[in-house]
Amino acid sequence: MRKPGKIITILFNAAIFIILEVAALGMLRSGKAQDFFITKGAHAFMAKVWGGSESVKYYFSLKQANEQLAAQNFALTQELLAWRHDAEEAKRDSLTRSFEDIGGFHYMSATIVKISRNKQHNYLIIGQGSEDGVVPHSGIITNDGVVGIVDAVGKHYSYALSFMNTDFSLSARLGREGAVGPLVWDGKTSGGAILKEIPLQYKFAPGDTVYTSGFSSIFPADIPIGLTGESRIVNGATYDINVRLLQDVGAVRYVTLVNNVGRQEIETLEEEEVQP
Amino acid sequence: MKNNFLVLYILLVAAQMLICNYLHLTPYLMLTLLPTLVLCLPTKVKTAAALLIAFATGLSVDLIAEGALGINTVALLPVALLRRSICDFIFGEELVVRGEDFSIRKYGLPKVLFALFLVLSLFLVIYLWADGAATRPWLFNLIRFAVSLAAGMLLGVAVVDMLMPDDRR
Repeated sequence: MRKPGKIITILFNAAIFIILEVAALGMLRSGKAQDFFITKGAHAFMAKVWGGSESVKYYFSLKQANEQLAAQNFALTQELLAWRHDAEEAKRDSLTRSFEDIGGFHYMSATIVKISRNKQHNYLIIGQGSEDGVVPHSGIITNDGVVGIVDAVGKHYSYALSFMNTDFSLSARLGREGAVGPLVWDGKTSGGAILKEIPLQYKFAPGDTVYTSGFSSIFPADIPIGLTGESRIVNGATYDINVRLLQDVGAVRYVTLVNNVGRQEIETLEEEEVQP
Repeated sequence: MKNNFLVLYILLVAAQMLICNYLHLTPYLMLTLLPTLVLCLPTKVKTAAALLIAFATGLSVDLIAEGALGINTVALLPVALLRRSICDFIFGEELVVRGEDFSIRKYGLPKVLFALFLVLSLFLVIYLWADGAATRPWLFNLIRFAVSLAAGMLLGVAVVDMLMPDDRR
């Protein structure tokens, strides 16, 4: 038979364990609720700690960065020429709009200074913060897809959830007018994703393009994300389709931040609908 | 707790933060030193204190290095709770009674490896569950567990060798 003192010790240890474990589980759950203040504080702290440490690493990869910039510059020049041609044709139309404010979305360029790749909850640190005009819940995109969502913003750096994160789900459309379903990371490679819950009546072929649906208040519609691959039927009701991403999320450096100008209004309307 | 141990412990926690942030080899590998560090806490550190140390260790790594706050902490606390029982089971009750610490030289590599196997398995099962295991195929989780366990045990032997004073040449 155990001594009473030993039983008290066991109970004391068990009580401490339960209290600490519940606290840790609470933090873990709040981590999934991105608006929780502790999560935001921790993310802002991480952005500050790791954001500055990457500059040395990038100094040694400048050659590669230059080559990438040169290629990007060429592509942009081509695009600019095409836009100028279109602009000449539309000259008589007095309506003008800036690139930075198109279709209710505000765009700004940004640089990723750190990427985590080997976890199931990966994140990005962006080298711009509130002083540069970054706001939380901005989408992060490139010409070739979606990279993540800004979560916490510091003065000079921002913390973002990567697409390579089990908590990240993106509304995507099969083709320009096809079915819409959630697109999630496949959890294995930086170039793989799964388009879920596509009804069986929709026909598609391997190689079809997947676009953003525009049904979220974060990303604009019709950004090409990836190409369809193999598919399988789930529970006899829907397809899960493998998608090969056009943008390798684990290797991106230069991105565009996109902020829905009317997001706050949309969210207010949604909240009013939930709490009439 | 000896000063040397404390310094090494803090340095190894810092190493874990760097591993989390910079060692990106494959999604199948989750390299961790934390369960080994908790196992290596001196036996005179009582379970309640070990729980608090594990909580602080896990939380500091979560706060500075992980994407999900609480994930290491959740997985590390059961290791701290069962640390003494595992030591009793593998190295014998005399270890705790005499207030000695285990080492590879005293107890041999197989026993130390077995202890590492138990603490790492416990940690990894909880960590992988918390890291979205339910959303991944079981084969992916199984491979991730096996690869992480094997790598963790190899690394764990080096950490035990470094932390346990009797083994210093």
